[in-house]
Amino acid sequence: MNSAPERRRDLFLVANSVNELGGVTSWTHRMARLFTDRGHRVHVVGVAPPNVVQEVGETPYPTTTLHATRPPSLRPPRRLRDRLNVGARLRRARWEATRRAHAAVLSDLLQTAAPGGVVIVTQVWAMEWVAMADTAGLHVVGMTHESFEESRRTSRFARVQRYYRDVDCLLALTREDADRWINQGLNNLDVMPNPLPWYPEEPSPRTGRVVASIGRFDEQKRVDLLLETWAKVAPRFPEWTLRIYGSGAEEQELRDYCSHLGLDDSVQWMGTTSDVPGALREASVFVQSSRGEGFPLVLLEAMACAVPCVAFDCAPGVREIVTDGVDGLLAPPGDTHALADRLAQILADQELRDRLGDQARRSVTRYAPEKIVRRWEELFDFLDR
Amino acid sequence: MVDVSVVVIVYNDEKRLPTAVQSVLNQALRSVEAVIVDDHSSDGSFAVAQRFAERYPDRVRAFRLPSNSGGCGQPRNYGIERAAGRYVMFLDSDDELDRNACRAMVRAIETTGADFVSGLCVRVHTTPRGRKEKPWYRWIYRQTRVLDSLTDDPDPLVWDTLATNKCYRRSFLLNHRLRFPTGIAYEDFLFTARAWLAARRVALIPNTVYYWHVSDSPERRSITQRRDEIGNLADRLAMHREIDALLAERGLDTVHLAKSVKFLKHDLVLHLRDLPLRTEEYRRSFLDLVGPYVAHLPTEAYHQLRPLQAICAYLVAQGDGDALLPAADALINPHKTAVPLAEREGRIYWSTRHLNDPLGRELLDVTDLGYHLKPLHKLAPRTVVTGQRVDGRWLRLSGRVTNPLGRIPTPTSSRVRGRLELTARRAGWRVFRFPLRQLVHRGDHLTWAADLDLGRVFHPIGIVDHVWDLRLVMDIDGTRVRSRLTVVHPDLDTAPLPVQPLLPGLGADQVVAEVSAKGHLALRVVPSTAVQHRARTALVAAAGTPAGRRSRALLATARRVPRLLASEQNKRWLYHTVLCRLPRHRGLAVFESHLGQRYSDSPRAIYEELRRRDLPMTAVWSYAHTPDGFPRDAVLVRRWSLRYLVALARAEYWIDNQGFPSGLRKPAHTTYLQTWHGSALKRMGFDEPEVQLRSRAARDRLRADLGRFDAFCVRSHHDMETLIPAFRLNPAVALPVGYPRNDALVRQRQQEERTGRRTYPRIGAAPHLPDHRRILLYAPTFRGRPRRRTAVRPLFDLAAFAREFGDQYVLLVRSHYLERLVVPPSAAEAVIDVSAEHDTTPLLAAADALITDYSSVMFDYVLLDRPMIYYVPDYDDYVHHARGTYFSLAEVAPGPLAFTEEELFAALRELDTADTEYVKARRAFAERFAAYDTGTAARAIVDRFFLQEGRR
Repeated sequence: MNSAPERRRDLFLVANSVNELGGVTSWTHRMARLFTDRGHRVHVVGVAPPNVVQEVGETPYPTTTLHATRPPSLRPPRRLRDRLNVGARLRRARWEATRRAHAAVLSDLLQTAAPGGVVIVTQVWAMEWVAMADTAGLHVVGMTHESFEESRRTSRFARVQRYYRDVDCLLALTREDADRWINQGLNNLDVMPNPLPWYPEEPSPRTGRVVASIGRFDEQKRVDLLLETWAKVAPRFPEWTLRIYGSGAEEQELRDYCSHLGLDDSVQWMGTTSDVPGALREASVFVQSSRGEGFPLVLLEAMACAVPCVAFDCAPGVREIVTDGVDGLLAPPGDTHALADRLAQILADQELRDRLGDQARRSVTRYAPEKIVRRWEELFDFLDR
Repeated sequence: MVDVSVVVIVYNDEKRLPTAVQSVLNQALRSVEAVIVDDHSSDGSFAVAQRFAERYPDRVRAFRLPSNSGGCGQPRNYGIERAAGRYVMFLDSDDELDRNACRAMVRAIETTGADFVSGLCVRVHTTPRGRKEKPWYRWIYRQTRVLDSLTDDPDPLVWDTLATNKCYRRSFLLNHRLRFPTGIAYEDFLFTARAWLAARRVALIPNTVYYWHVSDSPERRSITQRRDEIGNLADRLAMHREIDALLAERGLDTVHLAKSVKFLKHDLVLHLRDLPLRTEEYRRSFLDLVGPYVAHLPTEAYHQLRPLQAICAYLVAQGDGDALLPAADALINPHKTAVPLAEREGRIYWSTRHLNDPLGRELLDVTDLGYHLKPLHKLAPRTVVTGQRVDGRWLRLSGRVTNPLGRIPTPTSSRVRGRLELTARRAGWRVFRFPLRQLVHRGDHLTWAADLDLGRVFHPIGIVDHVWDLRLVMDIDGTRVRSRLTVVHPDLDTAPLPVQPLLPGLGADQVVAEVSAKGHLALRVVPSTAVQHRARTALVAAAGTPAGRRSRALLATARRVPRLLASEQNKRWLYHTVLCRLPRHRGLAVFESHLGQRYSDSPRAIYEELRRRDLPMTAVWSYAHTPDGFPRDAVLVRRWSLRYLVALARAEYWIDNQGFPSGLRKPAHTTYLQTWHGSALKRMGFDEPEVQLRSRAARDRLRADLGRFDAFCVRSHHDMETLIPAFRLNPAVALPVGYPRNDALVRQRQQEERTGRRTYPRIGAAPHLPDHRRILLYAPTFRGRPRRRTAVRPLFDLAAFAREFGDQYVLLVRSHYLERLVVPPSAAEAVIDVSAEHDTTPLLAAADALITDYSSVMFDYVLLDRPMIYYVPDYDDYVHHARGTYFSLAEVAPGPLAFTEEELFAALRELDTADTEYVKARRAFAERFAAYDTGTAARAIVDRFFLQEGRR
């Protein structure tokens, strides 16, 4: 299992920023550590400083940020009016020049790599800089850390197709997403799931009458649907509590809606937590009502704690992680009646909770970090051929 | 070891070979070699190959066969012998590999352990107007799959018969001695079939791997594209016979069936398309060759074909060449009515021949295609050209028109006139009309003749309008019947005929007859002088330049301007910024029912109540398509028209049952009365997952639309529990008066109970009712928009119904206005299509019993306290897999649930005897879902909203 890799490589992980708050940053530094532990020489590169900082601590590998300040977002000229706007054109030209200068810095950095080096671009915005840089002699691996459907709702959809078209390999999170990108016209796809963030020694005893939900409050997570679901379940299970961990702009609105639904007695608003394993250990069931997901780590975390998940089957990543009826329960996306059904089913049945939860803890080991790192190394070796 | 050897075969193709070889050298996967095998070309192909081998000694090897083999098999086999790679692929000199092809295939073959992997092939059509890419059987390649057994899914083997979009383990080819057959066309067929049968596991990937360059010009067509050679056909059949034998050997009957279906759907149809343009002699040999093969295919295959495909296949098997031509024509031109048709025992048949053969009788039965119900203007009877001659400046034409089912009446009973029309295929706004010299009615067909004075009358521009299409237009008592002229003889008189173009000197000044791709007569305007040629080429060249493209785009935009200006978005803007500032029009009420589709339902009931009481008001009714059937004493406006928007902006009342256009703000002076159109079984509004998944903005829009309601009619506590929360309505807007549309039903029941006498309202589509039979109404719910050209099959056999119950019941069928129902002639007495009726209420009132499924008419009809039958063959699917229901229909249904046709007919047989047991259930049902329907809804609403003095 822990045999040394065939080849120690120079790996560059290029992200929007080194320490922007979010899942990609966690992923980047986790992978960087894992690669470093395997003897690879890792360098994490950020294009610009973050908007909101995530503490990453001391790293055993160097990090570099290309731009000293956050670059402005400039719309490409579309209309005649944009074209005639001299000021905007000047700003744009100046900006392009600095961009090229910083891409040159990136080129210098990349050219220090020994043969077999790999540039891993975690976000498509960062790819715009890598595309300008000189990557001769290196493999370029692009990544899209969200589902195809989620990407399609954003400007990233067009940019993924443009900037990732010619990279050696574009990694999707699941086979299903990869196939959809291929059908969209990209031909260089491969699949790489995210590694398990942690695997606790102590699983949840599943004794607490607590249903947990963890996630920020935004349009994608649809906590309002969770409340509607809970409103259908709670009257039948008065001894159970729904604990909602997280925060976000919609919080007040959601709390009002919760009161409107008459759920104040059975719902606890927990705020954000830094101790996710602790929160999960107190729960017996995890519930998620997202409209869309990429590769939801929080499901992996819950399963690692042996807490069975009940979720909307809203994305390939969810189906990939949870097998309905085997290690969790899935409901058709948006169907709160069905989600409430599943939830009621699992709340009413201790045996079911135990069976699904124990199986969940076993099945997530397929995302064990050492297995995922090995897959990466196999991919690098394949790209050498 | 090299990873992939790509065997590139070439014959006399020195120009394109370098592109093919370069696509191998450009592979993202580095460890790839090209093995070029030259089939003894007479041009410089081999020299080109050798130059590559010299330049890339490690990556390219070049070989030359000692003599020409004439096919693809031998050179490919030669390449297999010489390949050194772990995997082998094949590439033709005129095609290309995608840059990522080898990498994706090797990755798939190694991760799955397959014997070979197959990827998507893209056909590339290069024309002067640009490059068009068409994926080849994309549906097979939608997702990454691993097939361990052919019987799981025979489609890839059956449909994708190419050898070139695949990557094989070389050891697999060697171990199974897989080689291409030689000396025969279509060698891919047999090779891939053998490979599929030998493989333990095959991987399919959605990646584009192979670009197949398809040449559209006849000189450069590749071997298999030349379908007109009878030898080719013989080869194709030989291959099919061999594969059939292989399948039979292994007992793979399901695969053979799938393959037979594919042959009839695809291979046969390819040849049938060309048939009308072939000589008599070719057609005969075609039938001699193909007939016996088709006759041996399993007859189950016919049942998986579309009706016309099955007819063609059957006629081929029967060797009936005369009947085949019109059938093939109808296959290519599905809108046509190609043969006279025949009615036998209440069914419509394609022909009167073959009806003694049970299979023939079944396949030739085209009743369900609804030819007998087609309106005259959509009949498009087939018209064939029987004579065509160029005579100086005259084009002399004669032809015959099919008269299907005698639909074209004889001249004694009506006026039938005809003419020919000539229109340009592109840039066509001018029409040239030519009178017929003669039009003679001859029973099952008409003959006509015309002399077209093209030299004098016809003036093409001569540079953009190259092709002109001819049509026969008949005027039958004011109805226009159009049909194209079908050419059935390959020997057209193509002598040039001089014409006078609008641009003398520059425009082309001759026309030549030609046959279009779909087999119709057309005229091509051709240049006769060098100047005309140059003018045309210059224009084509200019159109291809950036400036030319821009001006064409500009022209296209200019044409769209009126439509862009009239977009709904612009109309909304106009409504909000201008119209809403107009003053209130006191007493103005805008009525709409089902988005303007009907004059019906509760809005109609309210309108009629207002009229009855003669209250002072201005009524505006909105209609979606046609004002037919809407009341004459109201102002009628088309939905979304300017007058409609003005009316909405100024109205004092909006009254509708579904929803006025989304996004239109309700003016402050307006009261919106939403009557709604039915209580809910299925989940509605925000209880639908689909609605919940919409974006926040879309949900907010919906909420705003629903928030416009000032009053919402409810019929029971059930509505309060379902519709009100599902639409996020404030319970205060609920108007617990019942539905105005149901007042008539309640009153009728009260009257009938009082007098003890049944009364029947008049039904427009069936004015002869009631007669001695009892009236059944069949009103199923809408099951989604039908596909183009496919009629909706009734869920049970109407002919069988007519046979058993024809003298006992008359069945009124009401389907959704988007659906089309075909009633066979044999059932015409017993079954009446009432879908076009505006209002449902009189139908309910007339019906002695109702057959429905999940439609909300059940909640209305129950008010009449008459028998109801639920015909629900798709119950589980509908209730569990669709969006779900508010209550269990099976538990509370006040009538029997029939899950099959037999159960339905049994329920009809004991309609009265069994009904007694449902009387109680019906009461409970009415109590639960229609408690507020007391027959006074319209009056209550009018009293409340229209009688108050000094409102606001």
